[in-house]
Amino acid sequence: MSEAQKDFEPKIVGFLCNWCAYAGADLAGVSRIQYPPNIRIIRVMCSGRIDPAFILEALKNGADGVLVAGCHLPSDCHYLSGNFKALRRVMLLKKVLKELGIEPERVRLEWVSASEGDKFAAVVRDMVEQIKKLGPNPLKMEETEGKQP
Amino acid sequence: MESNPPKIVCFMCNWAFCEEEMHVPYNVNIVRVMCVGRMDPALVLETFANGADGVMLAGCKPPDCHFVDGNLHSERAVKMLKKLLVLTGLGAERVKLLLVSPMEDKGFGYYAKEFSEEIWNLGDCPLKKAELASTIKANIDAAKNAASAFRLRVLLGREEELTEFMNAYGEKISEEEFDALLDEIVEAEFIRYKIYHLTKAKPCSVKELAETMGIKPSAVLRHITNMRRKGMIALDRVEGYTPLYKALEVR
Amino acid sequence: MAEGKVGAVLVVGGGVAGIQAALDLADSGFKVYMVDQSPSIGGVMAQLDKTFPTNDCSMCILAPKLVAAGRHPNISLITNSEVLGLSGEVGNFEVKVRKRSRYINEEKCNGCGLCAQKCPVEAIDTYNKGLTDRSAVYVEFPQAVPLKFKIDREKCIGCRTCQEVCKANAVEYDQKDSEIVLNVGSIILAPGFEPFDARLKSEYGYGRYQNVVTSIEFERILSASGPYAGIVLRPSDGEIPRKIAFVQCVGSRDAQLGNNYCSAACCMYSIKEAIIAKEHVPTKLDCTILYMDIRAYGKEFDAYYKRAQEEYGIRFVRSRVASITEDPATGNLLVHYVGEDETPRIEEFDMVVLSTGMQPPKNVEKLAETLGIKLNKYRFCQTNIFTPLETSKPGVYVCGAFSSPKDIPESVAQASAAAAKAMAIIAPERGKLISVKEYPTEKDVSQEEPRIGVFICHCGINIGGIVNVPEVVEYAKKLPNVVYAEDNLYTCSDDTQKRIREKIEEYKLNRVVVASCTPRTHEPLFRETVREAGLNSYLFEMANIRDQCSWVHMHEPKEATEKAKDLVRSVVAKARLLKPLKNPTVNVTPVGLVIGGGVSGMTAALELANQGFEVHLVEREKELGGHLRKIYYLLEGEDPQKHLQRLVKAVMKNNRIHVYLGAEVTEVSGFVGNFKAKIRLSNGEEKQIEHGIVIVATGAVEYKPKEYLYGEDPRVVTQHELEEKIAKGEFNAEKVVMIQCVGARNEERPNCARICCGQAIKNALKIKELNPDTEVYVLYKDVRSYGFKEEYYREAAAKGVLFINYSDERKPKVKNEGGKLKVAFWEPVLKQEVQMEPDLIVLSAATIPNPDNKHIAEMLKVPLTKDGFFLEAHMKLRPVDFQTDGVFLCGMAHSPKFIEESISQACAAAARAATILSKKALEMEGIVASVDEDLCSGCRICEYLCPYGAIEMLEKEGKTVAHVIEALCKGCGVCGTACPTKAITLGHFTNEEILAQVRAILKEMEVATA
Repeated sequence: MSEAQKDFEPKIVGFLCNWCAYAGADLAGVSRIQYPPNIRIIRVMCSGRIDPAFILEALKNGADGVLVAGCHLPSDCHYLSGNFKALRRVMLLKKVLKELGIEPERVRLEWVSASEGDKFAAVVRDMVEQIKKLGPNPLKMEETEGKQP
Repeated sequence: MESNPPKIVCFMCNWAFCEEEMHVPYNVNIVRVMCVGRMDPALVLETFANGADGVMLAGCKPPDCHFVDGNLHSERAVKMLKKLLVLTGLGAERVKLLLVSPMEDKGFGYYAKEFSEEIWNLGDCPLKKAELASTIKANIDAAKNAASAFRLRVLLGREEELTEFMNAYGEKISEEEFDALLDEIVEAEFIRYKIYHLTKAKPCSVKELAETMGIKPSAVLRHITNMRRKGMIALDRVEGYTPLYKALEVR
Repeated sequence: MAEGKVGAVLVVGGGVAGIQAALDLADSGFKVYMVDQSPSIGGVMAQLDKTFPTNDCSMCILAPKLVAAGRHPNISLITNSEVLGLSGEVGNFEVKVRKRSRYINEEKCNGCGLCAQKCPVEAIDTYNKGLTDRSAVYVEFPQAVPLKFKIDREKCIGCRTCQEVCKANAVEYDQKDSEIVLNVGSIILAPGFEPFDARLKSEYGYGRYQNVVTSIEFERILSASGPYAGIVLRPSDGEIPRKIAFVQCVGSRDAQLGNNYCSAACCMYSIKEAIIAKEHVPTKLDCTILYMDIRAYGKEFDAYYKRAQEEYGIRFVRSRVASITEDPATGNLLVHYVGEDETPRIEEFDMVVLSTGMQPPKNVEKLAETLGIKLNKYRFCQTNIFTPLETSKPGVYVCGAFSSPKDIPESVAQASAAAAKAMAIIAPERGKLISVKEYPTEKDVSQEEPRIGVFICHCGINIGGIVNVPEVVEYAKKLPNVVYAEDNLYTCSDDTQKRIREKIEEYKLNRVVVASCTPRTHEPLFRETVREAGLNSYLFEMANIRDQCSWVHMHEPKEATEKAKDLVRSVVAKARLLKPLKNPTVNVTPVGLVIGGGVSGMTAALELANQGFEVHLVEREKELGGHLRKIYYLLEGEDPQKHLQRLVKAVMKNNRIHVYLGAEVTEVSGFVGNFKAKIRLSNGEEKQIEHGIVIVATGAVEYKPKEYLYGEDPRVVTQHELEEKIAKGEFNAEKVVMIQCVGARNEERPNCARICCGQAIKNALKIKELNPDTEVYVLYKDVRSYGFKEEYYREAAAKGVLFINYSDERKPKVKNEGGKLKVAFWEPVLKQEVQMEPDLIVLSAATIPNPDNKHIAEMLKVPLTKDGFFLEAHMKLRPVDFQTDGVFLCGMAHSPKFIEESISQACAAAARAATILSKKALEMEGIVASVDEDLCSGCRICEYLCPYGAIEMLEKEGKTVAHVIEALCKGCGVCGTACPTKAITLGHFTNEEILAQVRAILKEMEVATA
């Protein structure tokens, strides 16, 4: 492992649905459950709102990982079935990622309920570790390499 | 009975004894402090960890105190310290608070000798017994943390106010009631830090912890629930039917 | 005291029932005072982990209701309080209430929780049922509403630490109890229940053996936010159990204890707990439920019970548990029970869960005395079959578990029903006591360059203690379009709201960003503030730098500060693009349409009329009454025909109700507030009506059995036919065999028909009344006489009715042997087959869906269950709503039910409808989808995906385009994500806004690390 990789602190963007996952992340806070500060959360109303384009944009802009989190299947979704839509979209996106040369593991879909503060923190912890092993986003590497004279 | 005289450390108030007149037995080391009230229980515990067989705290007898009531404060601190010493396995007798008035006939040498003998009679410091050393050492660490815990420091700091004057509701808390509460909290904090240290060394199960510490597993579990609430501990993994816990790094 | 009637209602009890009643009343234009003795609302439901039969997370579905009740402008929460006295009369009561001291000033406390963190004293955590501890200054649970701390005076030593750390100066040790007087028109009682004290059943060892826990304790053990973080552990040693027993009916169905009733929910919650336990335990876990009868009588419950057996392998043992002892060496428990074959057995388990029943709260006698209402012999509130919501005192209504043990959806339905009753008697006072806020005219900022103001909160030291707030402020100032930034000790405090308004003026701000806690609780407050300053409330955005930053990175202040900057930058990037949104309004036609003229339909129509609304009641038959016409007597003794006559008369002479007999609704179009329906009248003419809501009350029908020689042999009849025979004096059999579950609980219809056990017991008792010597045998699978009906089961057994269990493997056999009617069945105690020659075989035929349901469902675009009953919006919390706004259901159209349950649901549907009909116009949430018609290709993907049917396709200028019915859109954004041409977008969460957030969040991180 190179020096740079050892100090590598991944940047993770999280898209969280308002009703379950975002509430779960809030509960982690209220319960003071600590997790690494690598994640930045963007709130959407429903995981079904999360466009694969958002995830790609995040990866293009240098995110090393993207977390999509919504309400548990099958029936926790505040909007009936948005979580199923998220599931389908993320599954499809993962296939595309492979072709783009991005490890599909960089994108993770999780179901987190409003009472699972612990789980949310564990997911972030786990994801940070996993992405540390993967190393930086290859798109970013290409970009910097390309810039070098 | 051991052959070497016990090592005694005495933390002595700057104003307590007149230095020239003092006979200090050779096994007693004196550390001057400005006031016994300043003595942090954690410091005394550290002294034991470093090999002292007994610790004396010498200060002025009330109502005299250069800092108004440092000596009174030290009485309370020693009360707590003794509780912690019992929990560590060292025993309450290894610490002594000596508050003397300037009028006192007996010199320091007298008291030092008396304490020396008491410690001598107690026998070997358990810390020196190979089979106990590591446990006691760990206990002292836990006791040190406990003594520095915010809850205990707050209680100690407020004892006088609460038991001698009045609390926020204009009531006085009886000495007994306060002592009982203090006992409970001292023990809880000690056990929790003990669990903390044990699970920091390696992930442990409730049963293992209970066995190591000689307390009921149900009590250990309850402490763990409270430690989780305070962010001290987390589940590490489950082995078979047994969850193992680990201390959380950052505190 | 005010003269005349008062447009306010007191709700006693803040559990899910109280909350529902309060919300329905407040949404219909009445002022509500909600008094609860706990420091926060939520009741028992807040302690549950999951809910049956959908396994929804309890807190996930409850928390939005808590928040809604907490910030409803028409609801005053009076927590930590109790009712002391009542005077006045219906329509105008005066209620004296004692507010017990919290020792914390509710106005000042902002719930930051620092006090609890610093408090040196621990107390037993009652929310977690004593399985762990909390501090002496506390909130019951993190999502508590109101989020106001309270000092546990029993435990507090008065050390003043909390006072010193509280930056809001909220701690007041000298706060005294106070008394207030409320003037209300009506009262709803929803004090709920408390679990039976398992210590009283000493033979089960609760309190002595650590691994014997109650079901509520087990809920906390299962909960991810509970003491064991959702891992099932034995309290004695922290090991994961391998074998758990659930002992049913602890404190219920127990004549010795005098609790001769069934607690109605325990069978289901135990099945749920067993399922969830198995899901939570990573290793193999055996769950055994020791029961007398499994009473899975509710909608879809039997399917759940079946899944528990087949998918989860949960073992069900019909038995009676005699005692439990402990093996002190292992902490394991030896359960001594008697199985079906009467053989005593002993089985070892690692853990035992006692399914404790419901009983009225302790102080209920005092409450009853204070209010002057009657209790029944079990101390539940006294009600009658035809008036299930009325207490013995006019103007005082009851709902939830206080009137009889019941589960959540029934409590919720009753709550809405009680709200209907409570508002009907003060209907003319609607809207008189609620506050209508006046706002300044909205500024048009659409042409202005964004001018953003950023307010960053220290939250005492909750944020400021970790994140370097001044540094973030300086950073924010440098962000593009930010013209002002400042930090506040508490951005949510009243004086800061004033400051924000001033700064909006002073700096001509047209966007506001607050970086503080979570928008889930605080966004509405700040939106209100910017609205008060003349800005559109959607020109506001929040960054969560506490719950998702300072609190979770407490030991990394530097990183937390950087993260806070990133979050602020991202939100500012979004704020730059924010557009004002309008809250769309739709006018409401204050008229109801009720389909079905049975007891439910008539009751719903009457309730609506009583509230002052015009109603069209459409009945397919030539006469009103439906199912009730065939019911001649009741278990409880009341005369159903008399009630029917009264009801029909009341409906017919009410001039607000238009009754159409022999008529049918053929078409319904439009949406909430604005429906149009076509009715085909009996004379063949068609009538068009306009209405604001629809209530579906189409009832159900009796199954015509194909089994057991029914239709072939006249001596085989259904329970209804028997009832008719008895009523007409044609009954003369000497030996009767009843067979339960005919056409229910089988492959074709897996669910229970709920009412047949009650019917069988009723008819059996009637037979015994006519002739005590008539032999009556009831062949059953489970006797499901839940609630107070248990008493009659016992009475029947005492009068010699023999109840004999049969299983699917050994169904009874009926044959005609040379003219002799014979029935053969397995006798489980004798362990042999018995043959009988009864004079009459009575089949308890299931109640099955009305065959019309399918057509009505299609017409209204509402779903049906697999069984063919109507499917409500949410099985737990929205029992009488459909997912489609403005359409409601009640009675047997929902599922089989007893009369009192149908009446409750009918009133509930009326109350829910009133929340719409009472408004001139409905104001909708502004975050809705909109279509750019130029881009729309008319592909219909969005129409297909929208779960709410909020998208319709219109023909415009020769082109098919999507159109959003704003009144129906809930703002999930699923449509926008799927739209191939990006023609449809969700306001406030547009692609541009989210992408700007994504870019901003990542951009500077690179700069920082470079």
